[in-house]
Amino acid sequence: MFDRHEDVVERVIQQLRRPVAIDPGLDARVMREIAQTPGGSRGWRVWPYWASLAAAAVLAIVLVAHPRSRQRESADLLQFVLVAPQAASVSLVGDFNDWDPARSPMRTAQGVWATAVRLAPGRYRYAFLVNGVEWRADPAAPSAKDDEFGTPSSVVTVGGKRS
Amino acid sequence: MSIDKVESSDAELVRRVRAGDISAYGVLVSRYRDRLGRYAVHMIGNREDAEEALQDTFVRAYRSLARCDAARFGAWLYGILVNRCRTTGARAARRRRMFVHDADALQGSLHAGNDQADRLEWSDTVDRALAKLNPEYREAFLLKHVEDLEYEQIAELTGAGISALKMRVKRAREQLQQILKEAEHV
Repeated sequence: MFDRHEDVVERVIQQLRRPVAIDPGLDARVMREIAQTPGGSRGWRVWPYWASLAAAAVLAIVLVAHPRSRQRESADLLQFVLVAPQAASVSLVGDFNDWDPARSPMRTAQGVWATAVRLAPGRYRYAFLVNGVEWRADPAAPSAKDDEFGTPSSVVTVGGKRS
Repeated sequence: MSIDKVESSDAELVRRVRAGDISAYGVLVSRYRDRLGRYAVHMIGNREDAEEALQDTFVRAYRSLARCDAARFGAWLYGILVNRCRTTGARAARRRRMFVHDADALQGSLHAGNDQADRLEWSDTVDRALAKLNPEYREAFLLKHVEDLEYEQIAELTGAGISALKMRVKRAREQLQQILKEAEHV
């Protein structure tokens, strides 16, 4: 079958260079996991020492000047992400914004849509509104089982494990 | 709204992620998913473990992005995956390596005649031969000949010297020839 052994290795290489099908849901799982990174996408940021001191000073001023900010301090900043390359617009809608598409429009970078929302502890239902007409549940989150509106939606629980 | 078709560079995307634009990271994930996935599948030999390693690589990379030279994101990502595959490979070594073809490919082979059946058989033969290689040889062979990296780049990723890497690749080729020659006579 093989007269020249080097040719066999070249055939192996050609075989191994063929594309391998990777689960297309992997992108959504990655984005969901990193969105849960404490501190959101800024959790890894390295601040110079002086900048940390300055930020602490500014934070102290804000907390003193605006007592309501203390309430916001307990809220978590959550990143919501949807991979939708064909979409022209996507909005995040849910219990937290009265299901109003105008309040949480999502930004896109080559088909990956994202937005961040600060949420106080609690359980929320939400969905993505694609192109202003199509409701989509979050493929990377549990579905809401008690959706009385008949459209797909998902559930996020803040201040504990997401469910 | 028009879809932006201008591809951003890795460095630009990394800068955007660092500035808080998480969606830019999604672009990097989709850009590198298939190529890194191919390496992981061949190196680990089990699709489920490979995808888990790939997902973990992207998440670890995101969390350590501050340590990345933005201009070398791709190489840096490869380095994380290579290490992750080593860990997974060692853990999975006791388990039987299993190769599962796409259901469509299998189904198709039943109807497509001998050509496609031969291709699947050859694919199986290659997978099994690769699995028999010493992991260090397999790693060097895949990075050099399948991922098409230069020895200098592989040395940086693996921490091995260039001479050692050339020897590993040479041994891998010899072993593959031997394994396939034996398979021919079975």
